[in-house]
Amino acid sequence: MLTALAKRLGRLALLLAAVAVASFALMVNSPVDPVAAYVGGDVAALGPQQRALIVERWGLDDPAPQRFLTWLGNLVRGDFGHSLTFNRPVLEVIGDKFLTSLALMALAWLLSGLLGFALGVVAGVRQGRAADRVITWWAYTLASAPTFWVGLLLLYVFAVSLNWAPVCCAVPIGVPAAEVGPLDRLHHLALPAITLSVVGVAPVVLHTRQAVVATMASDHVAFARAQGDRGLGLVLHRVVRNAAAPALLLQFGSLGELFGGSVLAEQVFSYPGLGAATTTAALGQDVPLLLGIALFTTVLVYAGNAIGDRVHAVVDPRADHRRWR
Amino acid sequence: MVRGFTRSAAVLSAAAVVAAGCTGGADGAAGPAPTELRLAIGGESEEGYDPTLGWGRYGAPLFQSTLLTRDADLGIANDLATNHSVSSDGLVWTVDIRTDAEFTDGTPLTARDVAYTFTTAARSGGLTDVTALKEAVAVDDDTVELRLTAPQSTFVNRLVSLGIVPQHAHGPDYARKPVGSGPFVLEQWDEGQQLIVRRNDGYYGAKPAFERVVFVFTGEDATLAAARSGQVDVAALPSSLAGSPVPGMELVRVTSVDNRGIMFPYAPDTGRKSAAGHPIGNAVTSDKAVRQAVNAALDRRALVDGVLAGFGSPATGPVDGLPWHEPASAVPDNDPDRARQLLESAGWTDADGDGTRERGGVRAEFTLLYPAGDSLRQGLALAVADMLEPVGVAVTAKGESWEVIRTRMHADAVLFGWGSHDPTEMFNLHHSALAGTELWNPGFYASAEVDAHLDAAMAATDPEQATAHWKAAQHDGRGNGFGPAADAAWAWLVNLEHTYFVDSCLDVGEPGVEPHGHGWPITSGIVGWRWKC
Repeated sequence: MLTALAKRLGRLALLLAAVAVASFALMVNSPVDPVAAYVGGDVAALGPQQRALIVERWGLDDPAPQRFLTWLGNLVRGDFGHSLTFNRPVLEVIGDKFLTSLALMALAWLLSGLLGFALGVVAGVRQGRAADRVITWWAYTLASAPTFWVGLLLLYVFAVSLNWAPVCCAVPIGVPAAEVGPLDRLHHLALPAITLSVVGVAPVVLHTRQAVVATMASDHVAFARAQGDRGLGLVLHRVVRNAAAPALLLQFGSLGELFGGSVLAEQVFSYPGLGAATTTAALGQDVPLLLGIALFTTVLVYAGNAIGDRVHAVVDPRADHRRWR
Repeated sequence: MVRGFTRSAAVLSAAAVVAAGCTGGADGAAGPAPTELRLAIGGESEEGYDPTLGWGRYGAPLFQSTLLTRDADLGIANDLATNHSVSSDGLVWTVDIRTDAEFTDGTPLTARDVAYTFTTAARSGGLTDVTALKEAVAVDDDTVELRLTAPQSTFVNRLVSLGIVPQHAHGPDYARKPVGSGPFVLEQWDEGQQLIVRRNDGYYGAKPAFERVVFVFTGEDATLAAARSGQVDVAALPSSLAGSPVPGMELVRVTSVDNRGIMFPYAPDTGRKSAAGHPIGNAVTSDKAVRQAVNAALDRRALVDGVLAGFGSPATGPVDGLPWHEPASAVPDNDPDRARQLLESAGWTDADGDGTRERGGVRAEFTLLYPAGDSLRQGLALAVADMLEPVGVAVTAKGESWEVIRTRMHADAVLFGWGSHDPTEMFNLHHSALAGTELWNPGFYASAEVDAHLDAAMAATDPEQATAHWKAAQHDGRGNGFGPAADAAWAWLVNLEHTYFVDSCLDVGEPGVEPHGHGWPITSGIVGWRWKC
C-alpha cells in the first residue's frame, strides 16, 4: 500500500516537473511581451527608463533558464513567487480565486454527474422509445454547443429578459461582505454552474446509456428477469452498479475539462474565479501565476484520475489491477 | 465572431426588455435621492490602489489627493499645493502645501510624505514615469523641493496625477489597504467584481454628495444588461452599443482626444534596419506629396458618420481640443482634386491606366496595418482605402497582431490611436531622437525645426512659453511642423466621443475633454456630481 502510494507520488512529481518545464518554455517563447502587456495604453507616457524599472522589479532581465532555476529554487522552499498582474503572492491569488471557483465547479460537477447518470439510465432502459430518443437528441445538441454560447443564451434569457438572475459577479452589487448570505451566493452561482454542467452532461448521458444497454442485454439481467425481477427494482439492483463505471471514470477524469470550461463560463458571467484569473494572467504574460495555476490544476486533475481509478475498482472489482499482479 | 453574436443578442434582448414594458433606471425615480451611486465604467486596477505604482493616473485617485489638479478646461489649479514655482534653470520645483490635510488614520499630511511619495514613485517599476526626478526633499513641514535631472515642463502632470501616500503606512499591502487624504475611503474590494468606497468626512475639500460609491467591474455586455435593468447609475459603453436608448437614462457624449490616425513611414526605403532588425522606410509614404495628398483626399466627416455612427469628430492633429493645439496646422479635407494635383505635380501619374499612379517604376501603393481585433480601426482602414482609390493611391488594409505590427511599423503605415492630457506624448511621437523607441515615432520622422520647438517646449519654465513652442511644433507659420499643413507626418482621422448612459436624475456637470481610455477619466469630476431629482 505504501509503495503504491510512493509510486503514485513519484509519478506525480515527474508529471509536475514536465508540466512546469513545458509551460515555462511555451510562455517565454510567446510573442507577447509582459512589459508591453502591462503598460498597455500607457505606452506613450512611459519612457525607456521606466520600462527598465519595470523589468528590474519583475526580474525579467535574467536569461530564461536562470529565471526558471530561480523560480524552481524558490518553489522548493515553498515560495510560489509574486503575481505580476495582481501584485500579490501567487499562492494568495490561487487560494482566493480557487475558493470562489470551487463552489462553481463542485456544483457543476455534481449537477452534470447526477443529472447525466439519471438521464443515461432512463435512456438505456427505455432504449429505442420516445424518452431515449429525446434524451439522446438533447445530449448530442449539448455536446455540440460551445460553453460560451450556452452561457450567453442563458444570460440573455434569465438575466436580461426575465430578470431572474444577476448579470454578473459572485456577490450582489454594493452589498458589504458581512451582509452577503448563502442564498445570495447561490443566486449568483446558479447560471454559471448550470452553464458549466450543461456541457459536461452529454458524455455522461451517452456513455451511461451505452453501458445500461449492454447490461440490460447481459445474461445476469436475463436471469433476473427469468426470476421475476421487473421495473425499477431490476434497474436499481441489477443494472445501476454495472452501468456506473463509465460515468464515474468520466466524472473523475473530466476535472481538466471542467476547469477549461470554467475559464469560459467565468468570462461570460464576470465570475471572479480561477478561470478568469487564468485569462488575465495569460493576457498579461504573468509567468509566475500561470505556472502556479498550471501546477495546481495538474495536481487537481491527477488527483481526480487517481480517485476515479480507486472508486472504479471498488464498484467493479474486475478493474482492480492490483489483484492481477 | 463572439463579439458579433453578443452585439446582435444584446439588440434582440434589448427589444425584448422594451416589449416587456420593463423600466430600468429606477434609482431616484421616487422618494428621496439615494445616497449611493453605482458606476459601471470598467477600469479595475488589478494590482491595487497604490499611486506610486500608477493608480490614479487617469481621473481621480479617489483615496489620495494630489498636489495640483486640472479644471474642466484643463487649466492647472491647486489641490494640496497652495503655491508652486519653478527655478529659472527649470531644475527645481518648489511646492508649498496646505497644513490642514489629514490622512484618514488621523495623522497630518506633511511635506515629508510628499517627498517620500515622489521618491518612491521615481524608483518603483509601476505605471507612472517619474524618472526625471533626481531627489525630493522636504525643506520644512509645508514646503517640498522636487529636483529634476533635466528641465521638464511636463513634470507638472506628475504633480497633477500622483496621489500622496503616507510614509508611515506605506508598505507591501498598501495597494490593497490604501490610506490617503482624498475624498473617499476604501470600504470593500471584491476583486474582479466591485469596489465599494465611502465618503471621507474628514476631507479638506468640497465633499461629494454621495455617502457611498460602488464601482462595478463588468464586461460590455453585462454593463449594458445592468444599465437596462436599472442596477447602475452610470454605464460606460462603446458607441457601437449606444445606439438604442436605455429607459430612465440619458446618453452623455463626452468629447475626447482619444484619436485614431495613420502613421506614415517618413524615411525613404534604403534597406536600413532598426536596432531590433526590423526594416525601415517606405518608397511611397516617404514622399511629402503623397502624405499631403492623403490628408487632402480623406473625407473625415464621412468617416465619423459612417464608421463611428456620428459619435466623434474629424481630427486634424494629435492634440485636438487641448490648450496646446495649433488650429493653423489643419488643412481642408474631402478635396480629391487637390490631392490629384499634388500627386501630378510631384510626378505621380497613371501612365499604364490601371487606376493606380506610378513614378519611376514605383506604384503609389502602401499597406495600412491595424490591430486585427479592433473592428473600429478595421472600419477606418477599409474606408480610407476606398477614399484613396479614386485619386490613384492603392491602399491595402491588413489586420495584424501588435507583435507583427511592431516588426512592420517602420516600413508600413499603421492605424494608431493616441490621446493624452500630457504633451509629452506629442514630444515622443515626433522627436527624431526617439525614432524607433518603443511605439514612439515609428515612422522615423525627423525635422530639425520641429525637434528644436519640442526641446524648447520641454525646457520652458513658463507654461505659456511651453504652450507657444508646442503649437509651433505642429505648425510654425513658416512651412515647418509635423501637422498636415507642413510635413504631414501623420494623417489624423477622427477623435472618438466617449459615450455614457447616465441616470436621468444624475447631474455629472460638464465633463472635460477626455484622454485615450474610456471610462475612468469621467470620475475626475465625481466630487461635483449631484442628484437633480
